[in-house]
Amino acid sequence: MSDYVCPYCRLGSDASAPACPNCGAPVDVREIRDKSGWVEQPPIKDQARIQFGRSQCQISGNYVPVAEMSLAQGDSVYFSHHVLLWTEPGTQLAARQMAKGWDRRRAGMPLVMMEASGPGRIAFSDDDPGEVIAVPLEAGRSLDVVEHHFLVATSAVTYDWIRSGIWFTLGTGNEKEWFHPLGTFMDRFTANEHGLLLLHARGNAFIRDLDDGERIYVAARALIYKDRSVSMNVHLERPSSVNHHWRLIQMVRLVGPGRIAIQSKYGFEPEEHWAWNDIGPHGTWSNWNSQPSKWRPRVEDREP
Amino acid sequence: MDRIVCSWCQYQDDATRTTCSTCGAPLDVANTVSRAGWRAAPRLREMTEFRIGDTNSTCQVSGEVVPVAEFALTEHDQVFFEQHTVLWKERLVSLHGQALATKNKRRIAGMPYAVVQARGPGRIALTRDASGELVVLPLHPGMELDVRGHSFIAASIDVHYDFIRITGLANVLHGGSGMYIDRFVAQHLPGLLILHGNGNVFDRHLAQGESIQVEPGGFLYKEPSVTMNTIKVPLGGGFGHRNAYMAELAGPGRVGIQSMYVHHHTD
Repeated sequence: MSDYVCPYCRLGSDASAPACPNCGAPVDVREIRDKSGWVEQPPIKDQARIQFGRSQCQISGNYVPVAEMSLAQGDSVYFSHHVLLWTEPGTQLAARQMAKGWDRRRAGMPLVMMEASGPGRIAFSDDDPGEVIAVPLEAGRSLDVVEHHFLVATSAVTYDWIRSGIWFTLGTGNEKEWFHPLGTFMDRFTANEHGLLLLHARGNAFIRDLDDGERIYVAARALIYKDRSVSMNVHLERPSSVNHHWRLIQMVRLVGPGRIAIQSKYGFEPEEHWAWNDIGPHGTWSNWNSQPSKWRPRVEDREP
Repeated sequence: MDRIVCSWCQYQDDATRTTCSTCGAPLDVANTVSRAGWRAAPRLREMTEFRIGDTNSTCQVSGEVVPVAEFALTEHDQVFFEQHTVLWKERLVSLHGQALATKNKRRIAGMPYAVVQARGPGRIALTRDASGELVVLPLHPGMELDVRGHSFIAASIDVHYDFIRITGLANVLHGGSGMYIDRFVAQHLPGLLILHGNGNVFDRHLAQGESIQVEPGGFLYKEPSVTMNTIKVPLGGGFGHRNAYMAELAGPGRVGIQSMYVHHHTD
């Protein structure tokens, strides 16, 4: 019986449990939505349980949360080795080779994932105060996730990566430098059948459902994930000033329709560069992504 | 009409309100004061909204681990902040760079020597990259506040932002605040100053002649009437002994400290 639709994972359940069985979001709290439309992702309550297949995940801790999984026979999950907190000896661990190893090495991404198979228990955590976000994926649904947020996924969810397309260059000739504010690649998770994806957000997490054509500008490193339907372009904000030349604020322009999620702790740039003019009074930056007439017909206007 | 006085900013509000309209402090909870006299800064509730100075613009607070201050600016209203604190903005919000006076001195001291002004209409959200809480300090005309560098999130445009030099070599080397601290002054109009305290923030009013020694990294803000000097605390140990340094704050005036700070090693 599905008489309750969770506003965070949009799946139905019977609401008899204190938490959504699909994503762990508390059922008995009111939605916290600010006036501009951001909804604060409620922290998963201590010891809340999430069901996936015949296995269960229990979230514990509310400062640096831990995802503890009880894997049934035949169920498996995969993860990057540095998020493994503890495991029972009976849980089977194996390496999971990733394709396109050279590209991944160049992008600083893990070359090998680990796979844990039940029966047994295993626990994961990332090393920053924040929240675990559980995203149940229905068959066929894809999610684009910024690197280093992935915690663990069930084996029904495939893992691939895409070029983020968020880059710009400064300088010319031998002095040309490339910048990737969001990372060179993004993770893309696609569910072949119903699966579960766990992410880690630093600080607090906020989600927003963008309408068709609605756009918002977000600090590049604050983005956690976006629906595949949300398009994304680099946006460099340069404060206007008569006498001074300003460092570019690296942002991402996100255009709906679809859901996006951001975090409130995202890593500042080094202090010595604040407001520093890094391209000079006559400098410029370039990126084909910002020139819609060349590459992206769906982007209809240039930024002011 | 019944009025209720906010114990944090002293503003008189309609008695039916549950949060202060000028600082967001909950009005329906008792103050938390330790036996030593430190008062916990009001923990702002999720989505609390308050007015910015005398304007129609508002600020809404969200997030309890790394809080976010979201400003809804009406046409021509402005706030200023350090450039790197932008979390997100709407398209219509325009940004303008403003270099500060004596920027070269500030640059040498590793302080922000420029700020960004955001002008409405539109919304913009700011956050500091650390766990802690927001401290909202409405400034009445003529009010001044000295603040640890890199602690302010935003201030309304009517607040004058300057800095003062810390005197004394020991204070500079061991005071934990470097060569300068920020000074915010509300000149002719009421203004709003929002700080980020790492961890939890505690506030205390020191009487005339009363003093307290705090870990230098814990200092967050003080009124200009409060003097701050670094004192050496010998730790003994004979040859090669170590010293610790503390910041001594002497009243009269208000001081604020934070519970999570960079620990300065003994020398």
